[in-house]
Amino acid sequence: MRHPNQATLALHAGGDLGAMRGWWTARHVARCAECREGVAGYSEMRELLPELAELPEISWNRMAAEVKANVRLGLEAGECVRPAELPLQHGTVKGWRAAVVFASVLVLVGGCLVLEHPAPQPAHVYAAQNAIESTRDGIEYQAGESGTMRLMNGGAQKAIYTLDAQGSMGARYIDPETGSVTINTVYAQ
Amino acid sequence: MLSSLKTRVLLAGVLGAASLLAQDTPLTNSQVRIDLPEDSPVAVMRNDTGTSRQIARGAAVVLDLNLSLTLRNISNNRIHGVTLRIVSQEVAMGGVGSVFQPGLNVGPGEAFPVHIATKLMRPMQMAGGPLLQVNLDGVLFQDLSFYGPDKLHSRRIMTASEMEAQRDRTSLKRLLAQGGAPALKDEILKILARRQALPQIQGRIVRGHVLTNAGLAAITPERERQETFAFVQFPDGPIQLIRGSAMIAGSDARTPTIDVANLTDRPVKYVELGWVLTDSNGRSYMAGSLPSSDPAFTLAARGMGKVTTDNTLEFSAAGKPLDIRKVTGFVDQVEFADGKVWVPSRRNMESDPLLMQVMEPSVEEERLANLYITKGLPALMDELKKY
Repeated sequence: MRHPNQATLALHAGGDLGAMRGWWTARHVARCAECREGVAGYSEMRELLPELAELPEISWNRMAAEVKANVRLGLEAGECVRPAELPLQHGTVKGWRAAVVFASVLVLVGGCLVLEHPAPQPAHVYAAQNAIESTRDGIEYQAGESGTMRLMNGGAQKAIYTLDAQGSMGARYIDPETGSVTINTVYAQ
Repeated sequence: MLSSLKTRVLLAGVLGAASLLAQDTPLTNSQVRIDLPEDSPVAVMRNDTGTSRQIARGAAVVLDLNLSLTLRNISNNRIHGVTLRIVSQEVAMGGVGSVFQPGLNVGPGEAFPVHIATKLMRPMQMAGGPLLQVNLDGVLFQDLSFYGPDKLHSRRIMTASEMEAQRDRTSLKRLLAQGGAPALKDEILKILARRQALPQIQGRIVRGHVLTNAGLAAITPERERQETFAFVQFPDGPIQLIRGSAMIAGSDARTPTIDVANLTDRPVKYVELGWVLTDSNGRSYMAGSLPSSDPAFTLAARGMGKVTTDNTLEFSAAGKPLDIRKVTGFVDQVEFADGKVWVPSRRNMESDPLLMQVMEPSVEEERLANLYITKGLPALMDELKKY
């Protein structure tokens, strides 16, 4: 049996695979205990690293452009501040440096292109546009690109979540600050 | 050469400091607007944004709001519940939240705290203005009278909660009268055990008729199916559940629809159905509610109707998608046209083992159990005597 690689399992755990690849991986994982364990491990890791889930949408192309611009700016700034009387360096060393810079930019741009690889995920994209979900510490409303709103459980240990199928979610908990039962609800209107 | 190096270090220092300042700055009270009507029965005594701050993160700004309010009852009636409406229209278009403080018993002139913790993420370039608006949506008094704009149906929600509280206090007071302090303690310990053993479920609601990734991964033509609802009927309830179904694909439940009949001579304007999901391991979870939120919904006396939604719900437990095998529905709340609210009796709830297994303790049970934990049995007994 051909197993998916670790990167595929990690993406599958986060629901970030494209439709076809996601379907194939889900089929494989359903039949393969080893891969299922791997996916569970990645899922647990995601639970343990909530900060990762809070990262905003990153535009890799934009980041690549910014990094390239910074590298170019750095090279130009280096040229400006270099004293004119610096001794000339051997052509081979200069070429070697340029090659390293060029290779770094290539690796960076290549990496960004790989990460930006447009996998078709219609359902996931749609879901990210307008959805409410319970998180480790509250309820989050994702409003497409305009932002997210999260009502937090105020540091409470264990909240009871309730879903209203018409489009709202509630969290009930004892607020540690007030000592009172509090019910937070987030509505998508 | 040395001066050039110094200049560079100085420049780097200034840039670094500026960058740090931009990354984490405290928020002020003016960035949160609290609007209470002129004739509001509560007034703000204290408004503290405390440790609130905004943090730059990539191309976005995270606003971490930690708002501590102290409200005073300036009416002549005892307050039993307050709901505040939290709006951040600028940040999350269409996103509205509420903070409901149930189980209050605040006399005229007395004060009570409300804590609002919220986190907002917005693009960096978004314009300024109040980040959060806090409005009063409703106040419920001891005599079940209500004040407020009620934009979030707080009247019904708070009335139902208060009726459940009265039901559970009556039950506990009866126990205390019959079996004394040991019987009361036993019951509170049972509530705590039930709370602890409650199977945890995580959920996600996606607006509209779509499949989420988990559903998409699980779906094959033969696996998407229409699952018929099983029902728990309450013999003395005002509503009978006739038939119902939902589309199930893996951990997704879509377009649940249930036909209902009004068994009474009073018109009904709202019905809320609870639904329980059972997975492939036979474990059951309280999944949530299916309310008749359509404003046009009415059930004439002895009439029939349909409760449905077009949204998709995705469920997981212990970080894994739930493999939904069975759905069970029951009537959780009914509001009649005259504003009266019906909630299931304790006998109703206790008559079904499935409900006893999955239903969380009521708000009042949780409040009283917390009182027992923090202040002991005598304080709990004193509390029950106040009602």
